[in-house]
Amino acid sequence: MRPPARPHSHRTPFRALASLGALLCALAAGAPARAATLVITVQTFDGRPLSGAVVTAHPLDAPAHRVPPIKAVMDQVNRAFAPDLLVIPVGSTVTFPNTDSVSHQIYSFSAAKRFQLPLYRGTPYPPVHFDQAGVVILGCNIHDEMVGYLVVTDAAYYGRADAKGAWSNEVARGRYRITIWHPRMRDEAADLERELTVGEADHAELTLRLTKSLTPAPLADRPHSWDY
Amino acid sequence: MQLKIGRRLPMDCPMPPLAWLLVPLTWLALAATARADGWELDLDGRLVSSNANPSYTQGGISGVRFDEDQSGLKLGRARFALTESLGELWSVHLDASAWGDHDRIPVGLTEAYLQFRPYPFAGYRLRVKAGAFYPPVSLENRAAGWESPYTLSYSAIDSWLAIEVRTIGVEAQLDWLGTRQGHDFDLAATAGAFGWNEGAGGFIAGDGFTLTDRQTPYGGRVGLPGDPVLMNFEPFRQLDGRAGLYGGLELRWLDRVVVRALRYDNRADPSAMDNATNAIAWETSFDSVGLRAESADGWTAIAQGLKGNTAIAPGGFYLTWPFKSEYALVAKKLGQHMLSLRYDRFEVDTNIAGGDGSETGHAWTAAYSYTPNEHWRFTLEWLRVTSNSYYRNDVFGLAALATETQLQLAVRYALGSGLR
Repeated sequence: MRPPARPHSHRTPFRALASLGALLCALAAGAPARAATLVITVQTFDGRPLSGAVVTAHPLDAPAHRVPPIKAVMDQVNRAFAPDLLVIPVGSTVTFPNTDSVSHQIYSFSAAKRFQLPLYRGTPYPPVHFDQAGVVILGCNIHDEMVGYLVVTDAAYYGRADAKGAWSNEVARGRYRITIWHPRMRDEAADLERELTVGEADHAELTLRLTKSLTPAPLADRPHSWDY
Repeated sequence: MQLKIGRRLPMDCPMPPLAWLLVPLTWLALAATARADGWELDLDGRLVSSNANPSYTQGGISGVRFDEDQSGLKLGRARFALTESLGELWSVHLDASAWGDHDRIPVGLTEAYLQFRPYPFAGYRLRVKAGAFYPPVSLENRAAGWESPYTLSYSAIDSWLAIEVRTIGVEAQLDWLGTRQGHDFDLAATAGAFGWNEGAGGFIAGDGFTLTDRQTPYGGRVGLPGDPVLMNFEPFRQLDGRAGLYGGLELRWLDRVVVRALRYDNRADPSAMDNATNAIAWETSFDSVGLRAESADGWTAIAQGLKGNTAIAPGGFYLTWPFKSEYALVAKKLGQHMLSLRYDRFEVDTNIAGGDGSETGHAWTAAYSYTPNEHWRFTLEWLRVTSNSYYRNDVFGLAALATETQLQLAVRYALGSGLR
C-alpha cells in the first residue's frame, strides 16, 4: 500500500470495512470460516516490483457482495491532485477541495463518470457520486499538467501494491478473478486478468508480470509556469 | 529605387513623461491584482559588457541587443502581467513591459488577449484566443512573458518574432487529448487569422537577424524616427484589406516530446503603401518546424528551423528577401542550476542585384542560471555573433564581416501569484 497522502485518509476505516466485508462474505457463502491469505505480486515486464499497482479480486463462486461505499477526498495542492490516485468501491463519493491559491476547473470525460466542477477555490461543491465501475481520468481545464485517477471498483477485495509490488488480504476460500491496473501501464487490463483458486492452504500466491514497458513517469522538476 | 540610406545617430526621439503613464497603470494594476486569478511582477537588471556595433534600438545594425555604448548597468525588462477569469469559460491576459530604451512608448503591451476555454468533450478540446499574441512557433520561449528559461537572448528565429511578428486577430486550437484516454500521444491543430502585422519582414530586409530578448510592444517602433523606410517602421500596421492566415499542427508524446509545424502567410499586398508615412506593406510568409525533447534527468534538447520570404513592390519594382534560420539548443538542469548551449545560423538573400539587405551569420550562446527560489534568478550569458551584412558596410561604412560578443549578468526578482 502506498502511504496515505493525507493524515485522514479513508484507508484505515476502509481496511476495517473490507475485513468485515470479507467475513460477511465468507459467512454468507457458507465457506469455511477460516480465511486464507491472498498475496498478489505485480512486476514490471523486466521483473522489478511495480509499487502502486491497483489489484482487485472478484469472487467467482460466492454470490456477489457489495463493499460498502466510502466518502473519500482528493485534494488539489501545488497544482497536483493529492493523492493522484484513489481506489473506491462503486457507490462511493469523492470531495475535490482546492487548497491552492489558484482556481482549478476539474473535468472527466471517461465513460465511467463524465462530470465537471466549474472554476473554484476552496470546497464549494458537494461530493461527486461514482456509481459505475471503471477508471476515471481527471484533468484541470486550466492546468494541463494536472492528472488524477479514480479507480471505481465492484470487487470484493482491492488495494494497491506496496514498495515490493505486493498486495495481500485475508479472503474467503474459493475461486477469484484477479485484475491489475496502473496509470503508466501499456498492457490492456483484460490481457492481465487471471483466475486463481484459494484452496486448503493458508496462503495463495500469484505473481503477475506486465508484458510491456511502462510509460515514463511525468516530469517532476518542471515549473508550473512553463508552457507544458 | 533609392535604397541607399543614411542613418541618424544617435537617437533623440521624444518620450512621453513616464510618470504620467506609470501612475494610472500602477493604480489600475493594484486594483486589478487585488482579486485577480494570477498576476506577476518581474524586475530584471543587467550588467552588460559588449563590443558590438550600434544595435537596432540605437539606429544601427548589430547581432545582439546591447552595443558597446550600452555596456554597464541596464534594465533587462520590467514586466507586469495579469490573468483574470471572466465568468466560467473566459479569461483575459495582459502582459505589459518596459525595456529601458528609447522606444516611443516607455511601457507597452507585448501580449493582450481574451481566451475562450470550453470544457473538453469526448476527448476533444477547443481553445480560442482573440487579441494580440505570438503565433505558436517558439519552443524555447515557454516561460511567463514569452521568455526563454534557457538563455537570456532568444534564438535568431524567436528574436525576429519578438521584434516584429505578432498575431493581432483570432486563433483557434483543437486538441485531441489522447493522454487523457490512455494513449501516449496528444494532437493539436491550430488556425489563425490576423491583421495589423504588415510591417513584419522589414526588419529582416533592413537589419537582418539579431539575437535579442526585447519584445516590441504594440504601438512600438523598430528603428528610429527619421531613419529611412527600410529601417524605421511600425511592425503592427495594416495597409491593405487582406487578412493574414496561418495553420499548424502539433504532436506531443506524453509530457516529453513536442513536434510543431506552422505555415504562416500575412498575405499582404506588397504594392500597398501609406503615402503619409511612407510605410510599406511587407508580404511575408514562412514555414517553421521544431522539436523539443525532455528527459527525466534534466536534459532538454530543442531544434528548430524557419524558412520564408518577404517582399515589397513599390513603384513597379518587386524586391524579395528570402530568409532562413535554424538553431539547436541543449540544456541540462541540475536542481537549482541550469546550463544551456545554443548554436544559431541565419541567412538573408535578395533579388536586388547589388545584394542590398543580404546577410549570413551564426551565433553561439552559452548560459548558466541559478534559481535559488521562485523569486530570484541569476543568469550569466555569453553570446558571440559572427555575421556578414551588406548594409553594415553600405550604410555605416563598417566592415561587412563582424564578430560581436556580449556578456550579461542578469538578476531577476519576481513577485506574484503564479510563479511556479
